[in-house]
This record gives sequence, structure tokens and C-alpha cells, in this order.
Amino acid sequence: MSEDKRKKDIAEGQDDGKAKESRRDFLKKLGVATAATTVAPAATAKAGSIAEALQTHFRLMSDDEKKNAIARLEKRYTEQFSKQVTVADTPAPEGVLFGYALNISKCIGCRRCVEACVRENNQSRDPAIQWIRVLRMERGNNTFELKELNEGSPSSNPLGDYGIQSGGHADKHVGLSGSTEHYYEPEQVPEDDAIYFPVQCQQCEDPACVKACPVRATFRDPNGIVVIDYNWCIGCRMCQLACPYWARRFNWGEPVLPNEDMNPKTHYLGNRPRMRGVMEKCTFCLQRVRDGRYPACVEACPVGARKFGNLLDPKSEVRKILATKKVFRFKEEFNTDPKFFYYMD
Amino acid sequence: MISARKYVRAAIFFGLFALVTGGLLFQQMPEEAVAQDAAQDDSGSAAVQEAAPDATPATSNAASVECYESIKDATKLPKVDNVVPKYGYPNVKCSPTTGAVLWYGDPYYGTEPMGEMPKFNDKTDGDFAQAVIRPRVEHLKTLIQTNMQCSSCHPGADPATQQNDPRQLMMHQDIIADAQNLQHGRGAIWCFDCHNAANRDTLADQQGNEVSFNESQKVCGSCHGDIYSDWRMGLHGKRTGEWKVGGKKRWWTCTECHNPHTVQEHRFQPIKPEPPPALPRGMSEDDFKGADEHGGH
Repeated sequence: MSEDKRKKDIAEGQDDGKAKESRRDFLKKLGVATAATTVAPAATAKAGSIAEALQTHFRLMSDDEKKNAIARLEKRYTEQFSKQVTVADTPAPEGVLFGYALNISKCIGCRRCVEACVRENNQSRDPAIQWIRVLRMERGNNTFELKELNEGSPSSNPLGDYGIQSGGHADKHVGLSGSTEHYYEPEQVPEDDAIYFPVQCQQCEDPACVKACPVRATFRDPNGIVVIDYNWCIGCRMCQLACPYWARRFNWGEPVLPNEDMNPKTHYLGNRPRMRGVMEKCTFCLQRVRDGRYPACVEACPVGARKFGNLLDPKSEVRKILATKKVFRFKEEFNTDPKFFYYMD
Repeated sequence: MISARKYVRAAIFFGLFALVTGGLLFQQMPEEAVAQDAAQDDSGSAAVQEAAPDATPATSNAASVECYESIKDATKLPKVDNVVPKYGYPNVKCSPTTGAVLWYGDPYYGTEPMGEMPKFNDKTDGDFAQAVIRPRVEHLKTLIQTNMQCSSCHPGADPATQQNDPRQLMMHQDIIADAQNLQHGRGAIWCFDCHNAANRDTLADQQGNEVSFNESQKVCGSCHGDIYSDWRMGLHGKRTGEWKVGGKKRWWTCTECHNPHTVQEHRFQPIKPEPPPALPRGMSEDDFKGADEHGGH
């Protein structure tokens, strides 16, 4: 559309005596005009309607716009998954700051939290996306032997020795735990020689991911949960890069979610099915906790290592843990102030 | 008309399928049946019931799935479809690989109120007003494969129980392999420190009060006071339901996670973990192992 024509359109709009047309309304018209000619109907059904593509940020929507956006999504998901899907916009409860506590001395590394999360939050099954990673660390994986202390890389190579080694072992630091891994697959857990450390979104007070987002698609909700408006996300993955906890997952491919596995109770900012090219992450099961339920991972843990509650309520389980147990936060030095606490008995 | 015919054909097909699988299951050992059921839990049985909801209700019930919560083969929970009709939720979703409960559609399924708990009037006072538990008595009936209570074989007090002298048991080796060498308390206690000699259907605490199998915490707590107070506060053990203080919660009692007969060997009976995440695309198992040998990431 040429510059002249655009000016003409706007002028016509004003001549008719209508209220001044906003830039967004104009863009909408423009979008509809171009999309209608170029996008095939089948593709639009999959990717959502044009109106959905043009809707504004969830926090800027008026009540009517929210209602329309949710109706559009419900219709689309209900058709896509052949069952009645609800998309809620339950508001955040008043006077609540959600906190999470995880007992690493109890965790047995069974990964039931991971699987529960996948079933609750409608993650893509293929390519498989999981929001929780359970790290395994070998117990006693530290060495103080003199022999090991003075051998190790950099060893000589054909190009010459350019590495600087002032003692110690370059691959395996003496006295430090060597490596963690999350692909472990023993017959039974807990193993005698291992400890387990589940990591998921820490719901920071001062989140690096929110600062990194160039379009503010990710933000903290009033309960302290960092959420994403998937429709507003442009898929630049800056937040993934900024997060020190490896908590964010990107939909590189078109998500595959079998109809019978799909959880039809969803929330706009929570577990509604995502599309290709958007970021997703743990939301403490927003769709559940705003309705009063525990997150799915808390309920799935067979040893009761996971605790959840309101940090503003001194009688809550989390506050009692903070008051009586040995508590630490993961990577505290980043000053992100997580609301996820690890503790020991 | 065509679609109706298709539906009938599908219903007949799935009906036959359910009958055949049902027949196969009956011929197998119970453990294998449970494992196989669990394997087809999320995909197979769901598809059967979705395709033919009213054609084969009886057979789909026969092929019901039992999943376990914390202790394998001991804390079983039957999977029931459409317990929450609003969302079509089953009461639980179970792991296709391990048969473990992964997800609760209805956290209160099969529960009953916890009943009276003693008041301590200090900070350890739990909020028991809306507490529910899953009864353990039912489990004890199925443990011996019949619907008998313990008292049908052990009526009244046995004079031998007065002697504080464990003997080799003729039965119940599945529960306790060597009764003369009970490791709970490392030899300091024996059977009738917890089991009620006068009424075998119950437990007895240190004062000799009769305690139901559903309320094991009252017996366990008489020795393990520190854990008991943590449990009352909600710090030890598992809860499901509502996160709010004073909300309706299901409390896991001691014996739903710990087996008191083997607790010294394993505080928590080891279980099979869920499968690991997929390796990044293009990365093979060998690549990964190599990376680990060279210091890992």
C-alpha cells in the first residue's frame, strides 16, 4: 500500500466524521487486507485467526478484548483437540506471594514431577519439552589426591602448549564435585551414591528474563509468578539467554500434543497450548494455584519433598520451612531473588 | 447415516478388542497384568473408552488400571475415568513405563475425614479441620488376597504374645522376612510394640490405646516425636489438595510412604524412575558419554 493511498484512507476516515482512527485500527485493516489475499485458509486455522495475530498485549486489553481473545482461543482449541477446552483468565488472588520449597535431602530423583508437569501443562510431546530438569550429582565425587592434583590438561598438542596451567587438574577440579547430569537412567532410585537436584523456574523477584524481553511479553504477575503472553512473544529467545537457571524452553518445532493427553482446563497465561516459535516456562501451574490447588509437581512427588504456599502467611508450610530448616537459594549471587527455596532436614 | 454405521462398526471393533485384552489379562499373573495395564494406560484404554463409551462399559471396567502412589505394590489406587466430568478428568493419570501415579485429577479420591487428632496447643498444632486421609484398612484386606480382616485368623489374645519373645513366623514372610531379626529399632522392639495383641485388626500405642491402621501416625509419633511434630506442621510428608492454610488437604500418613517392617533397610523403598529426557537433536548416546568422560558440562 503506497504512502499516498494511506494518507488518503486516513483522510477519508476523518472526513466521514468518525472518531479519529488509531494507528492500531489502521494496522488491523492493513493486516486483514494483506493476510486475506496471501494466507491460505488451512494455514490460518492452524496458526489462529488474523484477529488473534493482531490482538494486543494481555495486560493492555480491555475486558471486552480479553473476552473476545479468550473466546477465539477456546473455539480454536476445541476444534483442534476435539474436546471442550476452557481458557480461563482467573485473576490473581489478593495478598498472596507464592513461594516454593524443595527438600533436597528427600528427593529421590524419580522424575515424577517432570512427567506430572508435562501432563498438566500441555507441553509438546514431540519435540519433547520438559520444564523441570532433575540433576544428578555423584556423592563423594571429589578428590584430594596429590597424584590427581598435578596431572591433567592442558596436555601437549600438535599446535604447541598455549594453555596456562598453574597446578591442579583442568578437567576435574580437585576437591570440587565434577559434573552433574540429567540423563541418568538407573534401574532404581534413589541410588546410594547420588544426590538429586531438581531445577525449574525460580520465579525471581528481580528476573533477568523479564529485563531481557524486548517486547515485555514476559512479566511478573501480582503473586510473583513470571508469566508469558504467548501471543505477544516474538520468539527472539533473549530471555532464555538471560536466565541463569536454564528454566525457559523454546518451541523450535510445531508442538505435537495428542488429543487424549491434552489437559482441557487451561489459563491464558498458563498451560494453554503454545504455538511454534514461542517461549514457555514453569508458572507454578498458574491455572491450578489461582483456583486454590497445589501445583502438579507438588502433588506428584512421592516423597513429599516439594512444598508450596503463600509467603505472606506466617502459618503456611513454606514460611514454617523458612523459619525452621536449613534453607538456601540457587545461584544467590546473581541477585535475582528467587521465590524457590531449597532446604535440608 | 454413513457416520452412524461407522460408529457402530468402531464400537464392535473396540468391544472385541477389550474382550480379547480382558481375556488375556485374566490368564496372567497379577503383577504382570498391572504392568501391562499401566503400559497402555494413557493411550490404549483412553482410546477404547472414548471411541465406544456406552457400547462396552462392563468390559472396560474389567480392564481397570491400578497405579501405585508411594510404595510399589502396596499403595495402589484404581484409575477411574471421568471423575471430574467438567474437564473429563480421570482421578489419576499413571506412568506408562512404571505404573506410578503422576497426576491427580481428583486429589480426594477414596478419602475420608482424618478424624480427631490430639491438640497440643503449641506451634506444632496442625490444621486438621479439613484433613482427609486414604484409609489403609482396605489395603490390608487386599494384602492377603481376600476380604478377610486379620481377626478372622487371629481372634482374641494369644497367650504367646505376653512373653515378649519373637518366634519364627509360619506366615507373613512377605511382610517380614525374619521376625526374630526385626530391624525397626534395631532389635529394641518387636511385633506387639505396635500391633494390638488383643485385637489384631488394630494397632496399639505405647499406652496400650487401640489405634486404627488408618491413623498410624499416633503409633509412630509416640517414638518419633520430632518427625511427628514436623508432620503435624505440614513440613514432613506429603499433602495434596489446596495450598491455602486451612484448605482441604489430603494428608499422607506414615505407612503410605514408609514400610515399618523394612524401614531400616530403606526409609523409602527404591522405585524405578521415569524415563530421562530426550538428548538434544543430533546428539547420540555415544556423544553424550564421551562428553561426560571429558569433564562433562
